[in-house]
Amino acid sequence: MPTQEAPVKIRVNNLTKRFGDLTVLNGINFTIKKGELLAIVGPTGCGKTTFLNCLSKLMPATEGEILIDGEEANPRKHNISYVFQEPTCLPWRTVRENVAYGMEIKRIPKRECEERANQIMDLVGLSSCADLYPNQVSASMMQRIAVSRAFAVNPDLLLMDEPYGQLDVKLRYYLEDELVNLWRKLGSTVLFVTHNIEEAVYVAERILVLTNKPTSIKAEIIVDLPRPRNLIDPRFVDLRKQVTELIRWW
Amino acid sequence: MSNSIANETINHSKNKEPFSIVRLLTNTYFLNAVSLIAFFLLWDYVARERIFHDSLARPLEVVDQIVRLTQIKYAGTNLWGHIWASTQRIVIGFFLAAIVAVPLGLFMALNKYVNAIVKPLFDLFKPMPPIAWCTIAVLWFGIGETSKVFIIIIGSFVPCLLNAYNGVRLVDPELYDVIRVLGGSRRDEIFHVCFPASFPAVFAGLQISLSVAWTCVLAAELVNSREGMGFLIKRGMDTHKPELVLGGMLLIAAAAWLTSQLVSLLERKLCPWKRTIDNL
Repeated sequence: MPTQEAPVKIRVNNLTKRFGDLTVLNGINFTIKKGELLAIVGPTGCGKTTFLNCLSKLMPATEGEILIDGEEANPRKHNISYVFQEPTCLPWRTVRENVAYGMEIKRIPKRECEERANQIMDLVGLSSCADLYPNQVSASMMQRIAVSRAFAVNPDLLLMDEPYGQLDVKLRYYLEDELVNLWRKLGSTVLFVTHNIEEAVYVAERILVLTNKPTSIKAEIIVDLPRPRNLIDPRFVDLRKQVTELIRWW
Repeated sequence: MSNSIANETINHSKNKEPFSIVRLLTNTYFLNAVSLIAFFLLWDYVARERIFHDSLARPLEVVDQIVRLTQIKYAGTNLWGHIWASTQRIVIGFFLAAIVAVPLGLFMALNKYVNAIVKPLFDLFKPMPPIAWCTIAVLWFGIGETSKVFIIIIGSFVPCLLNAYNGVRLVDPELYDVIRVLGGSRRDEIFHVCFPASFPAVFAGLQISLSVAWTCVLAAELVNSREGMGFLIKRGMDTHKPELVLGGMLLIAAAAWLTSQLVSLLERKLCPWKRTIDNL
């Protein structure tokens, strides 16, 4: 995979988060290469969302540092995007305005905003409802709006927190393909958190497996399957089994 | 593929069923009409049988009275003059209250110091019924327009402020996270989330305020006035004309309904995103 030779974009050193006596994240170290799609899987309740909240700087970390291009991460300076578990569209903006919202905050010139928004809406099939409001589209469309908004700012780091956890299987396969498609076209650096092992093997180039609380990294698996990936390819099944063995908690 | 998922089909068609008695009897509009007609027939019956002696006018007598008021001057003013007198008080009092109370409510929700200063005073005055201010208002401002507008301001103030305040406080906190992660400032949070999110609550508050304002203007006019719809009701009572009392009540209901429609219209203009699509 070409991105495995790319320079390091994100470096996380000894990330630790404690709530009082409870240690949730325990000295996590890893790097993400530029343009890489990295998946993080772990058992339920292992602190995946806390992990993302620290990475996105929504929550201060107790110890450790997060470096983007060698500098301490800062939402004001760096382009960090976050797709939350729940769809988070601004209800008073149309689909188009929602997709362009991140760029607006980043003070990107209007012309460019429009062009990029149109390009991304075309890629994900939102163009036909660009002028509707979020309460006029379905739940899956809302999540697509959030994904589009996140990609539109050309993020240094795109965090996704089980974005498709709530959707049905068919739509999920479809949106996973769409995600891979967007990622390849735009070359963003993506960190995709999920509890769905198949999903992780399907989209990611590399998978980090987390342990139970206090959470640290248990293993790293490189997924070097060609795309589009085939869910019943024996190598795919092997990798899936391998990850499952690593996180089985039953 | 993308289009078939993006344009999820919306079911616009209605099932067509053949006509039948049962369908007619369970039709909503039919039942609405039955309910209204039955009410007016019952009213007419009670009035005709003089169950309340001569204190209840028949529906048509009330209509007749209203029509007559448009043609003659009553206490120096015709019907439109009386309607305008009350409406003018409402408009002035309601606007003055809304202009101060809505921004104050928003500020209280956004700034804890403003909240700490205003909240105790507000909590002190909140449970006081606005009509309790009627007499003190007359003592302070006399029996002119000022005292009536004052009572309306007092009455409309509370719901406006309370709803603006709660509108901001009940905003989905995840929306703030969206802005923070993108590196937005506090100003972005306020202008892009707080204000638009609070609009529906603000408008709900304005609607409540408006109905309170109509109650207040009526009370003020009953206490003392020379014109207005409350004056018509009072005069109807003094001269024992039930058709005038009921006519005044109907007029005030119609005026209150119209003003609340105006506020709804404004809300639809300012919050187009509240519109939903049926069957989605």
